[in-house]
Amino acid sequence: MSSVESSLDVFRARRGTSAFGAEHRYARPRWLLVFGPRLIRFSRRSALVIALLALWEVAPRIGWADPAFLPPFSEVLNAGFELAVNGQLYEHVGASLFRAFGGFVIAVIFIVPLGLAIGWYRRLGDTLNQLIEVLRNTAPLALLPVFILLLGIGEVSKISMVAYSCAWPLLLNTIAAVRQVDPLLIKSARTMGATPLQLFVKVFLPASLPTIFVGVRLASAAAMLVLVASEMVGAKAGLGYLIIYGQYSFLIPQMYFGILAITTIGLTANGALEGLERRFTRWKPTSSA
Amino acid sequence: MKAAKIRFEHVRKEFAVRPGAGNSTDSLVALDGVTLDVRPGEFLTLVGPSGCGKSTLLDLLGGLAAPTEGRVLLDGRPVAGPARDRGIVFQQYALFPWRTAAQNIAFGLEIAGVAAKERRERAAYYLDLVGLAGFADRYPHELSGGMKQRVAIARSLAYEPEVLLMDEPFAALDAQTRETLQVELLRLWRRTAKTIVFITHGIDEAIVLGQRVVVMTSRPGRIKHILEIPDMLHSEVEDVRSLPLFGAVRHEVWTLLREEVVKAQQSQARDGGVAPAAATKRSVRELAHV
Repeated sequence: MSSVESSLDVFRARRGTSAFGAEHRYARPRWLLVFGPRLIRFSRRSALVIALLALWEVAPRIGWADPAFLPPFSEVLNAGFELAVNGQLYEHVGASLFRAFGGFVIAVIFIVPLGLAIGWYRRLGDTLNQLIEVLRNTAPLALLPVFILLLGIGEVSKISMVAYSCAWPLLLNTIAAVRQVDPLLIKSARTMGATPLQLFVKVFLPASLPTIFVGVRLASAAAMLVLVASEMVGAKAGLGYLIIYGQYSFLIPQMYFGILAITTIGLTANGALEGLERRFTRWKPTSSA
Repeated sequence: MKAAKIRFEHVRKEFAVRPGAGNSTDSLVALDGVTLDVRPGEFLTLVGPSGCGKSTLLDLLGGLAAPTEGRVLLDGRPVAGPARDRGIVFQQYALFPWRTAAQNIAFGLEIAGVAAKERRERAAYYLDLVGLAGFADRYPHELSGGMKQRVAIARSLAYEPEVLLMDEPFAALDAQTRETLQVELLRLWRRTAKTIVFITHGIDEAIVLGQRVVVMTSRPGRIKHILEIPDMLHSEVEDVRSLPLFGAVRHEVWTLLREEVVKAQQSQARDGGVAPAAATKRSVRELAHV
């Protein structure tokens, strides 16, 4: 703490006597030169989130909100810790991840190739276009009762529900990706004598990858959304169940912790997918450059 | 006289046009009655006003389109489709952004099924040939326009076509880079003895590079005139553009072209309502600037 304060003093000193700034620059501790800018960047980016959490902590304590309905942030974390200790957290997170990941992977495995085919064979696209439009404009959650009626309330209906809602962003983005490939690149490859198969593998696939990834990330968000909703209806485990159970049993801190867990999983999944995307599309100019 | 490397025989090319979009007819004649021989190892340049079907001519030669009438022959055989005996260099480079410079150059070799080791060696050789030896692992977005075009040229040379077709390859580059690349292209041409068909809208470029300059008419594209460029302009003198002879040849091409530009503008003004005088002046200046 004291070192932070002293470095703040250095900052103040610099600001106050800018004419002598050069001399003071050498007085700045070395670690601050290395981590200082990062720290500043971090705090600038996270300021609003930190402020929101602080407000969450303070508001119930000073009477701005009813602590029964909005317990302070620290109590929520505490409830989460208890859930972790008694093993329930593992059970719920495990169940949710299994369903979300299962449905997502199934969708990627089947839908991306389907989208590639639809984009590639224009006639197939024309045939399927109306069906796709009708289905994708039917909100997946509206179909939740149908899935339950047909597939029961077990894992099958939940995983299918997730897969179904992942399918649309994946399908539409994959089709668009294939159709948006720069015609000049296709022309160029054709002049070099590329066969249709070579054209597909060496031009269409790599050129489509960035747009397909947009679909993959949208799908992962859709997966979480639908998962929580379907776990709230007829489930005995999972974070959606934890949230709704917390509400019914008035275990409000647990309920909030369930919500936080969903957020964390969403952020982690998105981060992982972004990392994967960067690995696969390293050739792209970075937006900052 | 040696047999022609490339021969156009009474070539006509029409395109279907959406009816009603300001067109009275529903087909557009891009090329008409084009008959032309290109000699083996020749450097031929083509100039014409924009929309004269220069690029259509190249598409026919590249096998990307088929003529409506007439024939396009390569070594006496009709062109049936794209193949690696012709390499095409485009104005917008058309490099694959997900491939490094070396991988781009190796693309045609991959298509041809050349083994990985030889692909690497040939890519390195052609990178070196275009003066980019240290840039093998750069992605296209990390290269300047001139460097991208060098990579594109190297890519077309790498699979060793006999004919190189170039569609305004230097039009997007700045003046200095363009001149440098012109000199290097001439050097490459002398070294590799390829037959080159080079399309440009720049008169200077056409004269500096071409042994013969073909001047096209405005739409429909026909061959208006073919000029033999005196050998003296291709000797290795410095700054050929400063020679009086260059000025004379340039003026000849310019005069031929101006008529066509004016005609093109008038017909455009008829169809589209562009103020003819201003537009003509502008495109005459555009023609002259290179």
